[in-house]
Amino acid sequence: MNFSFTDDQILLRNSVRSALDEQCKPEHVRAMFDDPRGYGEALWGEMAKLGWLGLPFTEEQGGAGLGLVELAIVLEEMGRAAYPGPFFATVVLGGLGIQLAGSAAQKDRWLSAISAGKARATAALLEEHLDWDPASTIATAAREGSGWKLSGVKRFVPWAHVADVVLVPARAPEGLSLFLVDPKSPGVTLLPMVGIDLASRWSEMRLDKIMVGADAVLGAPGAAGPALDSLLRRGAVMASAEMLGAARRCLDMSVAYVKVREQFGQPVGSFQAIRHRCSEMLLEAENAHAAVYYAAWALAAGAEDAGQAASICKAYVSDAARKVCGDSVQVHGGIGFTWEYDLHLYMKRAKALEPLFGDAEFHRELIVRHLTSAR
Amino acid sequence: MDLNYTPEDLAFRKQVRAWLEQNLPKDVSTLEERRAWHRKLYDAGYLGMGWPKEYGGGGARPMEQAIVADEMARANAPAPTNGLGLGIVGPTIVVHGTEAQKTRYLKKILTAEELWCQLYSEPNAGSDLAALRTSAVEAGDHFVVNGQKIWTSGGAIADWGLLLARTDTKVPKHKGISCFLMNMRQPGVDVRPLKQITGSSEFCEVFMTNARVEKSDQIGKLGEGWAIAQTTLGYERGGRALARVTTYSSQFNRLMEAARRLRRHGKPLLENPVVRQKLGRIWSEIEVERYQALRTLTQLERGEHPGAGGSITKLSYSEFEKRFMELALEILGPYGQLTKGAPQDFALDIDTAIGERGSWAYAYLWSRAGTIYAGSSEIQKNVIGERILGLPKETRADRGGGKA
Repeated sequence: MNFSFTDDQILLRNSVRSALDEQCKPEHVRAMFDDPRGYGEALWGEMAKLGWLGLPFTEEQGGAGLGLVELAIVLEEMGRAAYPGPFFATVVLGGLGIQLAGSAAQKDRWLSAISAGKARATAALLEEHLDWDPASTIATAAREGSGWKLSGVKRFVPWAHVADVVLVPARAPEGLSLFLVDPKSPGVTLLPMVGIDLASRWSEMRLDKIMVGADAVLGAPGAAGPALDSLLRRGAVMASAEMLGAARRCLDMSVAYVKVREQFGQPVGSFQAIRHRCSEMLLEAENAHAAVYYAAWALAAGAEDAGQAASICKAYVSDAARKVCGDSVQVHGGIGFTWEYDLHLYMKRAKALEPLFGDAEFHRELIVRHLTSAR
Repeated sequence: MDLNYTPEDLAFRKQVRAWLEQNLPKDVSTLEERRAWHRKLYDAGYLGMGWPKEYGGGGARPMEQAIVADEMARANAPAPTNGLGLGIVGPTIVVHGTEAQKTRYLKKILTAEELWCQLYSEPNAGSDLAALRTSAVEAGDHFVVNGQKIWTSGGAIADWGLLLARTDTKVPKHKGISCFLMNMRQPGVDVRPLKQITGSSEFCEVFMTNARVEKSDQIGKLGEGWAIAQTTLGYERGGRALARVTTYSSQFNRLMEAARRLRRHGKPLLENPVVRQKLGRIWSEIEVERYQALRTLTQLERGEHPGAGGSITKLSYSEFEKRFMELALEILGPYGQLTKGAPQDFALDIDTAIGERGSWAYAYLWSRAGTIYAGSSEIQKNVIGERILGLPKETRADRGGGKA
């Protein structure tokens, strides 16, 4: 029993943090707000070189062969830096999705390209109704010649505008299936969906009878359900890690600020009204840390309670990050409401992730289902 | 990071579970029965496990201590008596006591031959404990103690008390306090039960009128009492982390069962989405407490002391417990308020450490105490703010010298 990071994990965290402190300063995040692609190629290349893009993939696939705990460590740091770019979309949604569901050939092709920084990927898990239950998928896939014809509307597809491949769930005659779609293929229309977090990008993705080959199916037709459930859990835990990082940054900025901001002739951090709020924020961040890394470990280790732990993680951290980030604006007072002050970068990142892969309410229902089916 | 238990820990757990199955007493209600149960636990090596071997302890690892406490919670085993002796007084004597004090007192704490209480809080010294006024005045080979203590748990059965008293009124209040071991069985000590909102009396008031404390029973130097008390408060946390969560889990399971049977608008409460959300939230919090317990145990296993981090733990579980019990009473409706006559399905059978069987109502009322005793939530937040976050101290009227 050891619930603490190994030396290697601490080393990884420190190296990710120092790289992002150097190359992903708030100025960089802001510079990407108006960038058509929304991320820096130089940093992307650097991330490939540092091994982050292939972190959870095998060495044969050009990856580092590390696990979900390490991936969570990297994502926490990305939340802390409000990293603008398709890392989560590519490595978690696309990469882990292909790793979970793909054939050997599909993994060979895509995971090594992702690891090398040569391909970006994402997954289109959400439709108009916003139900994260994969079983609610409406998009359709019909057999056409030797391939498939896909139709449907996907919403909030992260970083689709720069992706080389999108994982698209669709309902085939055999049942729920997962397809690899090139977003530049004819019949695919991408429309930007601009949220409050300008450092995250979403698209609406319309599929109008688009054609894909037989080799575009991930796994067997009709058998995508379990892989999508697994991917949803991984997405939920990794999004929680990123929210945790954003919340930590908000807390750190708050503590630093209330030590120096003076009112009534003394630092506002000396007032219990502020100090107690900061203490509650730390409590939430610490509990969120436990929830994230327990769940990441449980998924990686295939623990019996992994599914439940993932839901507990997303439910807890969604609430905790909302409280910590919201309170950080409050203890800052007016300055925290200005565009020029950086706090909103992190607060908005956490907010953007809060409803993704199931919000707290969605996961609490799953938790109770786990509890009631267990007996 | 590896959250699996080692084979040794699993084997040890199995051994403890088997022992409890063999030895769990049917009924423990009188003090003598509880003492006998305590003694049995000690003889089996399950009490004073973390104490040094030379003083009769087991020199066990924190994980082994946590496993024993956890298995006892799982078996709904009665608590040993002398909790304060084991948890606070003993460790204080081990760290700060003289060899003579160690020889005289420690073994009898472990065997429950002598029961202990803690004489800290006073009517006007609660959160501001350093404002205590009970005085100890030197008189040759002893001290003469006058004053009043309150919230003394186990005071009515205690043979001895760990006392904080003021020995110097001319220095700043934190510097004029000293620590003593006081015999409770003497004419100058009057113990009166304090009836709480639970209707029971786990606590007492203690009145000292020219009570006598031997000089040989002074702990540490004069004026070091406050510093010693700071370290003793630290022993109250950590080891029970897993056991606490196991108790929550078994209570939660009882609540789930009740939610299956109770109905609203013609349907089981457990099918009500609002109730499901609330249950899901509480279960998440119980699990997060468990994850945090594993983090704490990891620290303890490495020989690290959680320090001010203990304040985060205490704040977290005590505030959680109130939310949990509020939900329990919401779901159980008037059943939750019953102190007698609750049907089996809607009753909670817990050990209250005072010889009465518990109830949901008792657990609910008791949850209000947790955010007040051993440093209120407000005090914990001050500690977290100042010692962990490094926030500036507030301007206080009592930072200077003068008597308290």
